[in-house]
Amino acid sequence: MSPQLSVVVAAVGLPFLAAGATPLAARRLGDDTGYAGAAVALTCFALVATQLGRAGTASAAWIPSLDAAVRVTVDGWSLLFALLASGVGVVVFAYSARYMHGEDGLARYYGTLLAFMGSILGVAFAADLVLLFVFWELTSVCSFVLIGHETEDAAAGYSARMAMLVTVGGGLALLVGVLLLSTASRGAFGTATFDLAAMLADGGAMRAALRESGLFVPALALFAVAAGAKSAQVPLHFWLPNAMVAPTPVSAFLHSATMVKVGVYFVGRIRPLFLSPEWTLLFVTVGLATMTVGAVLAVASTDIKQLLAYSTASHLGLMVAGFGFGSALGAEAGVFHLLNHALFKAALFLVAGVVAHQAGTRYIHDLGGLWRGMPFTAGIAAVTGLSMAGVPPFNGFYSKEFLFEAAYGAAAAGGGLAWLLPATAVLASVFTVLYSLRFLSVFFGGRPADLGRIERPHVTLVVFPGVLAVLAGVIGIAPGLAVEAIVGRAVDATVLAPVEVHAGLPDHVTPPVVMSAVAILAGVGAYPFVGRIEDAVETATRTATPVRPNWWYDRLLDGTEATGERLGPVVHNGLLRTYATWVVAVAAGFALLGYLATGAVPLPGTGAGPWVAVDWPGVPPAMALVLAVAAAAGVAVTAASSHVAGVLTLSILGFMIAIFYILASAPDLALTQLLVETLVLLVFLLVLEELPEFYADLEVGRTVRDAALSVAVGGVAFLTVLLAAPQPAAEQTRIARYYVEQAVPAAGGTNVVNVILVDFRGFDTLGELLAVSVAAISVLVLITMRNRGETG
Amino acid sequence: MTTTMMKTTARIVVPIILVVALSLLLQGHNLPGGGFIGGVLTTVALALIYVAHGLDYLESGVLDREVESGAGIFQHRTVLAYRKTFVFGLAVVAGSGVAGVSFEEPFLTQAFVIVEDVPIYHEIELTSALVFDVGVYCVVVGGLLTILSVVGGE
Repeated sequence: MSPQLSVVVAAVGLPFLAAGATPLAARRLGDDTGYAGAAVALTCFALVATQLGRAGTASAAWIPSLDAAVRVTVDGWSLLFALLASGVGVVVFAYSARYMHGEDGLARYYGTLLAFMGSILGVAFAADLVLLFVFWELTSVCSFVLIGHETEDAAAGYSARMAMLVTVGGGLALLVGVLLLSTASRGAFGTATFDLAAMLADGGAMRAALRESGLFVPALALFAVAAGAKSAQVPLHFWLPNAMVAPTPVSAFLHSATMVKVGVYFVGRIRPLFLSPEWTLLFVTVGLATMTVGAVLAVASTDIKQLLAYSTASHLGLMVAGFGFGSALGAEAGVFHLLNHALFKAALFLVAGVVAHQAGTRYIHDLGGLWRGMPFTAGIAAVTGLSMAGVPPFNGFYSKEFLFEAAYGAAAAGGGLAWLLPATAVLASVFTVLYSLRFLSVFFGGRPADLGRIERPHVTLVVFPGVLAVLAGVIGIAPGLAVEAIVGRAVDATVLAPVEVHAGLPDHVTPPVVMSAVAILAGVGAYPFVGRIEDAVETATRTATPVRPNWWYDRLLDGTEATGERLGPVVHNGLLRTYATWVVAVAAGFALLGYLATGAVPLPGTGAGPWVAVDWPGVPPAMALVLAVAAAAGVAVTAASSHVAGVLTLSILGFMIAIFYILASAPDLALTQLLVETLVLLVFLLVLEELPEFYADLEVGRTVRDAALSVAVGGVAFLTVLLAAPQPAAEQTRIARYYVEQAVPAAGGTNVVNVILVDFRGFDTLGELLAVSVAAISVLVLITMRNRGETG
Repeated sequence: MTTTMMKTTARIVVPIILVVALSLLLQGHNLPGGGFIGGVLTTVALALIYVAHGLDYLESGVLDREVESGAGIFQHRTVLAYRKTFVFGLAVVAGSGVAGVSFEEPFLTQAFVIVEDVPIYHEIELTSALVFDVGVYCVVVGGLLTILSVVGGE
């Protein structure tokens, strides 16, 4: 069955509409806005769920000339992601209602969160590259607002900016990649298109076209940068832990289930198109590196949210590595882990929020033995934490097992260095087990003496993570259910040929099972030494600052700022004459270069210039006289003894030009010139008193330079007129004939100039009016700023 | 600048300029003129009053109203009127563009009708372009005069 465009558009559009209505709702409902948001998310979830079982694309025209359209694709993969986003959205909104109780800026918070959810749904369904890019960037912008929710907090501002710069920078890479794909599609389909669904459907032709044009590797690399920035892959992972300054529900939603999954989702989406040895090399390397680095840093974290953040990066690495493997098992690992990770990580974040809320601290060393105070929360943490560790029979185990199988398969096939892949995966898993135990020690470890009495959390704070934990637990006990419901179909969308997905507990010993056992046992065995490992990692990261991407980010940003501060005053020195000099000199220089390059004006001594064609003796004497007076006035302005004399002499020049227009039978131009000249004269008279009487003594060097520049600019302007003006003998151009012939029948006006202005080219006039508006507003702003004493 | 000579000249010249400006605006479709030229000429006339008599003259001398002193130049009633003219003009221009769309024509499409058998004039041409031109006129007058009076007020 083909998908219903209207339902999908409604599901994507509804959160945006709701976001628009949020300011009103927040004023009316207060804290309960969270429940209204949950209702919206639930509606979206239901709308998306109606599409279950459907597959295909649907579209509506948007920009036909570019072949960009509102195209949506519905298949298992997009439905899985959309259901996750809206489903976790329900939980997060409902949880926020209690968690954000009494906070400021609720309207901004809920509005942005809704818009964010809409953007994620847009990314999930977009089958058009332009549409995808728009939603992709919207998620970055929304996350910027959400991470920087505490606007007064400098750390929040810093982190929000960092997330914005990294993810939007990645978005630019996506944009270039999209354009490359579109360019290559011309080779595959004959016309350039932004239709991702068509590209995926005809993957062979697209691959051939990409290879042929040499764009395969550049496009792949750009998409990898985009996905890596979004999904916090090494070395662009550093923004994710910093983003933990956001309110906890935001972290749970953005940084476990949605935002960071966008990159992974996209990798899965384009996997069938790009699957190749290059793809495997790139994504497996990056993914496993992220998995290991994230896990190691998570062990060294002392803040439970930071631990979860690094763990998220590590698990995203697992998914990316899974998609990187060429075998279908890799795709199964990526898809299934996307679902599993979203369930247990969102719950864990919410649990961390409960802990911080009740205990007042997130510092691991200050926490312990919380299960006595909050048994239900501890139960949730146990299920989801063991799932994070990949311990059977919890849901994280199955997807991790797929990765081990894929890695082992690749190693067995490749041999040699390829054995590093399963080894790295196991190493990362050892650390995963270690930090999972670390997290659980908050609940089940020894209770620090100075920890005060812990109140029981409010039921609304526990019930929603509880729902997620139950879901995770159900998948753990019966993974076949999830595979049956959606994971199987989602896998089909990311592989070249449909496969059967089998998830279950192992019934005999295979190498991947041994890998899992080694990881768990080693992790548990290393747990007593976790303090020493933490110290070692911390010392290592402290001494080796240059390998920390965060350090590079700061250096780059500070360097840019410092350069800007130095460069600003040089370029922008506040003297109008400097700007004028540069602008006219550059414009004249480039124009002249253009004429010389195209041969319109020959180089000296190589031929006749355009001035040869002019019939100099045939110039009417009246015109010559008028222009001579104008030229004389122009020279006289420079020698004027006072401002008044200068202004008056300048208007002689202007009025002479007006007379010239009359002689050249252009009455409209003449009228305009006369009036503008009069107005300018009046304005000059108004401001004349404010001008200083005396500037400075003339410097010979500057005078010579200015004079030379004036002559050069005048010369280029003269050449331009000669080149642009029609030859006297030439016929009217087609467009000129059209205007003259059509002025009366089509527009009912005999003044062709005016008819062009208001009838034929009204849009240009509108643009000119906007220019007038902008000028007026700029003057108002400048004067207002000066009245307020601002100088910037 | 507020000399007797200037004032006398302004008194005689301004009404003539205004009438000419209006005729330029109205005849623009068939003879030299149009919204922009008419607007600039009107601006010149009002600027002349401004130079000869000052900003308050339109309020106190022409409309015979009290001038509130003390308020900033942005709150001056004349300047507010200029700004309103400017906004009104933009609205008229945009509206005349949208009007075409409502007849399922492209944005800014213009039309005209010729009304015959009118006394004295015999026939009058009514163009939608005139509406557009009036908008242009208002934007030019409002925009230029706002700039002029605010800058002059400094």
